[in-house]
Amino acid sequence: MLLQSALVDALNDREWVFPLAECVHIGGFAVGVGSIALLDFRMLNLALRQESPARILRYTELWTVAALIFVIFSGFTLFLSQSHIYLINQIFPIKMYVLAAALLYNFTIHRKVARMDHPSPALSKSVAIVSLLLWTAVVFGGIFTGFLE
Amino acid sequence: MSIAQALENIGFLSDFADSVLVYPIVLSIHLTDIALFGGMILMTNLRLLGLTFKSVSITQMVTTLRPWKRLGGTVQIGTGLLLAVSEATKYEPNPYFWTKMIILGLIGVHALIFRPTVYNNTEALDRSAVIPGRVKVAAILSLVLWTAMFTMGRMIAYWEG
Repeated sequence: MLLQSALVDALNDREWVFPLAECVHIGGFAVGVGSIALLDFRMLNLALRQESPARILRYTELWTVAALIFVIFSGFTLFLSQSHIYLINQIFPIKMYVLAAALLYNFTIHRKVARMDHPSPALSKSVAIVSLLLWTAVVFGGIFTGFLE
Repeated sequence: MSIAQALENIGFLSDFADSVLVYPIVLSIHLTDIALFGGMILMTNLRLLGLTFKSVSITQMVTTLRPWKRLGGTVQIGTGLLLAVSEATKYEPNPYFWTKMIILGLIGVHALIFRPTVYNNTEALDRSAVIPGRVKVAAILSLVLWTAMFTMGRMIAYWEG
């Protein structure tokens, strides 16, 4: 509790912290979600067809994980500096549930199907579409948290 | 009446600004588009820098992603225009907005300078043993310009005129 309030004071004393954290958050999700989306485009047969999805996954996964760590840390900073507002926000908890689902999906089903040698095209494509929809929902949730109370 | 006011008063644009939901929906599309297609720009540049996708040819990287980046860019400009014009009187005096537009212009200049020797010259690049310095300069400048672009986009909301 004491640590938390000390952190919050440090955040509130510096008015550039919130916009800086927002920029890191946006840059981070552009890299994190973008690298996942690139794999999805491959699974949908829309780009990089000469490479296997497993290989695209291998090339992107380090960037995905590193970027998502930045997104989560910057997101936590945003939350702490305005926690009283986030806690009464009606959209914010929905965003957190969708985010949890997207992360869980990404590191289980999505990864597993991307690594299969010969998945049926229907399976590969539907897994990619669900991935794109989940991450799109997370971004919409973030914007709507800021606009609706 | 100023140009900015005149723009805001165009019928469907004033309906647009008055709606509580439409502005955040268009902004969400703008940002989702950054994630989907910004990631492609990043990965292409990382390939040019030799940091990832090493076994994938530069040609494949640039040519198969190009149509999607064009679609993404079109959606960016379309949604960006809607956002700016619907609140034109707020954007017009905002220095962050104009900085962002200058950066957008610089991205165009970057394309004019580097397209002939880098992005439209990928087959020669794939044949050469090492990635030439100008290719790496192009990739780093592109990353810097796009980072400045989304940073200024976010800062638009913070200007209090």
